[in-house]
Amino acid sequence: MRLGGEPVGRWGLALLAVTGVAGLVLGWHGWATRAATAAPSLAGATSSAPAGSPAASPAATTAGPARSASAAAPATAGPAAPSGSAQPGPKLSSEPYAGVAFQVWPGTLGTAARQAMTGLKITVRRQGNGLLVTAGVIGQPASPPHRYAGGARVYVLEASLGDDSGNADYNLGDDGLVVTDAQQRVLP
Amino acid sequence: MSQPRSAPPAVGPPAASGSDAWARASALAGDWAPVAGRILLALVLAWFGYHELVRPGLWTGYVPVVSPASSLAIVAVLVHGWLLLVLAVALAAGVATRLAALLAAVLLAEIVISLTISGGLSDLTLRDAGVLGLAITLTGVSQRRLVLRR
Repeated sequence: MRLGGEPVGRWGLALLAVTGVAGLVLGWHGWATRAATAAPSLAGATSSAPAGSPAASPAATTAGPARSASAAAPATAGPAAPSGSAQPGPKLSSEPYAGVAFQVWPGTLGTAARQAMTGLKITVRRQGNGLLVTAGVIGQPASPPHRYAGGARVYVLEASLGDDSGNADYNLGDDGLVVTDAQQRVLP
Repeated sequence: MSQPRSAPPAVGPPAASGSDAWARASALAGDWAPVAGRILLALVLAWFGYHELVRPGLWTGYVPVVSPASSLAIVAVLVHGWLLLVLAVALAAGVATRLAALLAAVLLAEIVISLTISGGLSDLTLRDAGVLGLAITLTGVSQRRLVLRR
């Protein structure tokens, strides 16, 4: 048999057929789990305090460069799970993603942090002894704010800065958010 | 009296030796460089194809015109990922490589054009343009090494 003028044998056809079937199986898996990759936002799905809470500090920090509308893929949730009252976890420095965590609050954004935040919008407010963090993808509806009791620092995770170009992040699947306390322990 | 001289060793001129080595290297590159290009392009396609298939929701932002949150965008990513995966295996195994490279070039051209329209000329766009160039090159190369002939 010839394909595109080139001879293709039985084994070649069989290999392509097997690959096609494997691709269908993977695609079925992707379709079945599409909600799991599309639903969560950076800050988690629930919040323990409303955005307009009277206790929220009026001084809010909003960061996030503008971004083109082409990269509207949702981001996966970071290691911080939505629960405002649980105990702190391990130190950020002991986590495997420590090397790709860039501090975005407090302080001014460094060059790497600014690039890591491409396509993301993160708002941080002080609220009592914690932080009220709103995080999401620019161009998509913002998720409800999440309160991190004892929160002191906010980091954005960006596994690969190579997918950030100009003002667009072409793969938000490797982005996340981490909040730590003053001892650099990851807050849930 | 003249001193007897020993005969010079019977070797060719250095220029000829270098020329032979260069010719051998060229022949080697001619045989194997297309294989390297084919397999590296296959790696790129396989990586993207696999990830588009298993996590299509992360790639819907690339789908032009269609809303990223729509099921149609998910389906488009899945179809795209499936095509990339099949083309990757065809290229890696050397099965209908010129046709596979041509189809890959069409897909990559669509990506480059789409990215250019949506985001302008960026580093990512130009990187994909380079991969497109590799695919186009492979459409004109007859594969002789590491191909599945049977």
